[in-house]
Amino acid sequence: MKDNETLIQTGRHVTQFPADVSLCAGCSSCEIVCSLLHDGVVGPSYNRIFVERGTISMIHRIYACQHCVDHPCYHACARKDQAMCLDENGIVYINEEYCIGCKRCIKACVFDPPRINYVKSSDKSKRKAKKCDLCRTRPEGPACVEFCQVRCLGISDLPDERR
Amino acid sequence: MATLYGYVGKIARINLTDSTVTHIPTSNYVPKYLGGRSVCNKIFWDEVGPGVKAFDPENKIIYMTGPTTATGIPTGGRTVFTGISPNSYPEQYAWSGIGGWFGAEVKFAGFDGFILEGKAPEPTYLYIEDGEINFLSARNLWGKLVHDTQRKLEEIHGNDVKSIVIGPAGENLMRNASITTSNDNVAAKAGFGAVFGSKNLKAITVRGTGTVIPADIKKILELRKKMGYPQAQPNPIHHETTHGMWGNNIPVEGGWLRGQVACSHGCNQHCNKLMLDMKSAFKEEKVNHVEKCVSIFAFGYKEDCCWVPIQTFETKQNHLLPCKMLSGEPLPPDPTDPHFKELYDLVPGDIVNFWEPNFDKGSIINDLCNEYGMDKWDVIVWLLPWLSMGKKEGVFDGIDFGMEINVESEEFIKYLMDSIVYRKTYYGNLLAEGMARAIRALGKEKFGDTIYHGRYSQVVPGLRLDLPISLETAWGHSVHWQGRGFEGAINKPGWVAVNLHQMNSTRDTQTIAHHHDTFDNYLAVKDDPCRHPLTAIAVIKGENSAEIKDSITCCDWQSPNLFWTDMEAQMFEAATGIEMTEEKLNEAAERSKLLFRAILMRNYGRDREMEVNAIYPIMTYPDPWGQTCTWEEWNDLVDLYYEERGWDKTTGWPPQEVFEKYGLHEVADSLKAIGKLPGCR
Repeated sequence: MKDNETLIQTGRHVTQFPADVSLCAGCSSCEIVCSLLHDGVVGPSYNRIFVERGTISMIHRIYACQHCVDHPCYHACARKDQAMCLDENGIVYINEEYCIGCKRCIKACVFDPPRINYVKSSDKSKRKAKKCDLCRTRPEGPACVEFCQVRCLGISDLPDERR
Repeated sequence: MATLYGYVGKIARINLTDSTVTHIPTSNYVPKYLGGRSVCNKIFWDEVGPGVKAFDPENKIIYMTGPTTATGIPTGGRTVFTGISPNSYPEQYAWSGIGGWFGAEVKFAGFDGFILEGKAPEPTYLYIEDGEINFLSARNLWGKLVHDTQRKLEEIHGNDVKSIVIGPAGENLMRNASITTSNDNVAAKAGFGAVFGSKNLKAITVRGTGTVIPADIKKILELRKKMGYPQAQPNPIHHETTHGMWGNNIPVEGGWLRGQVACSHGCNQHCNKLMLDMKSAFKEEKVNHVEKCVSIFAFGYKEDCCWVPIQTFETKQNHLLPCKMLSGEPLPPDPTDPHFKELYDLVPGDIVNFWEPNFDKGSIINDLCNEYGMDKWDVIVWLLPWLSMGKKEGVFDGIDFGMEINVESEEFIKYLMDSIVYRKTYYGNLLAEGMARAIRALGKEKFGDTIYHGRYSQVVPGLRLDLPISLETAWGHSVHWQGRGFEGAINKPGWVAVNLHQMNSTRDTQTIAHHHDTFDNYLAVKDDPCRHPLTAIAVIKGENSAEIKDSITCCDWQSPNLFWTDMEAQMFEAATGIEMTEEKLNEAAERSKLLFRAILMRNYGRDREMEVNAIYPIMTYPDPWGQTCTWEEWNDLVDLYYEERGWDKTTGWPPQEVFEKYGLHEVADSLKAIGKLPGCR
């Protein structure tokens, strides 16, 4: 954890419930449906949510963008409002057409590990940042939440409803 | 170049002798051989001839993903190894499935599979990263336990790598050694961990940042919601106060914590029972491990496994997959089914009295198997019951194991396993060769066939059920859903079918196939199952389903679904975009089965005589109803099976026209040249 993580005011984001509410089964459904629905592929560089596997303990943690209220990634973007954009609901999203893969957003992320993914490629035009956009254009909401078979994911301001 | 959906396009040939790698286009084999085990069978047929032994450098371990691996199609994370099995008795070609996250990562690294050949000159592990395969020294890993090896590889390469490793059992060529992924998933049945050891190969670690592109995303999402009837529901950690199942359930002082976890990448189930904070055999701190089917008997084994017919015979209204109850979340039964009462009629397991319940000791046994890297089945349902029964019958009187035999004792179990894994004592060294070989070396008549007098039926109260002290079935494996011994309370229509599956195999088939049939068929065959073609037809369907499962790939908890018969075809289409029907999939399954058959015929001389004699003895002992099978009954069923397969009844060999029907002309020609087609003998 970075020193400043605890000082960050987070926004509405995908969150993992504690194990006494629902234990992550480690199935990777969240990562898979994320990259499938955004990019039409399955691959660790393409998902915008991350399963940190407890390979020995078998207790797994989910990491996703916390949608910080002051959104430092947005401000760090070399092409702010073209590549990294802010919508009317305060969701920071990436318009990949304009992303030049400079990684400034990743460096600006206050969380460890950073919550922004990155596609490496020998073709510079394919180097892109990937970031959770809460499936902002999807009527059903975040696909990772919908397809979590063990319902261990939810939206940050709704955990009480889940219980 | 057109996109090859589902597959990533190449298989790596990895020569451990000279540290070289060459690439083979996956399209050399697919879609004709689908993927998974079917591709493995083709490669083995082409590349490994008769005379090769399991630990020879010429033995090859072939590992394949399937077209669904890493596509998001449920259960696609399961993958397959094949090669000559050291645990099979006699050594034969076999296969072993494995879950975990490794298979998906192999694809992300750019490979659909690999062929391991040769022998490294020194302890070695492979590090694969995005198409590059590196041969690295494993001197600092050799000797380490399974989890320590996994941990060390993450220290070296980062915690996002995925590894398969062997433990000391594999290094010391223990014939039932496993290959283990990081979440206690194992390929254990064939003993390929020992083949890794014979090749000086400790581990394979992989990291990939590439992609897998499936053909039909909408369909994949639909399958994720429908396959196996997943119920999206919270999965909290439970505090349990007892452990075990009917007949062996015990109170646990202080209770224990249970979670449920998925076994493989992309699965939409969470079948594996995660046991938290369990006693370790090696360290003071508590460990987590998963409990699968057989593990439960480590904790207590007073009674054998009970059974309800619906685990094998299903109706459209009520159909469960075997052991679905492992997750504790089967769908509620439909009581309006006219067969409801019969389907759920619980048959109590036999009284066996192998050992008293002991929660900590059970945890120790599981931890020993996990960390040494060995097959739990051979330990829990063969080695330890053999010691228990043999001691009670006085078989071991006068034998000095170095410590008094006491299967109730943690210390004895630790001592015994240590002796075996490190081949420390005469008997440890002998038992490291596997139960089948050890018993024959000791003298099978006394050490295998001596009757245990402590097994009693609970179906027919008071009926003593004679049982040999060695729970051996065929091909070096212990009984499994065969109506006697372990998981014994299955009735005759079920167990004769299971024995037929086993007869045609080289390993325990029930860990991948579990016999399924409809309840209507059960009603038709139940009075004389050995003389009804429907028994043979159901076995053939089950065998073909298993070929499909290991090729597409799928898992036994979700496939086959007798009432959604084109599920696997839909999976294949969604992954690859290649049109597939049930009929075409079945043709591919027949082709894979015929290749397997051809390998067994060419390399190991398999024929009817060898098969019927290998499997028949176990059926001469009574099931829980006191029933057995006569030689005539058994051979009548084998006749029916060969007839339905279109194989020659005298030899058990498929004729030329059958091979040719499935596009295997060259296989038929090869067999004909060595006199192994019907009529050539």
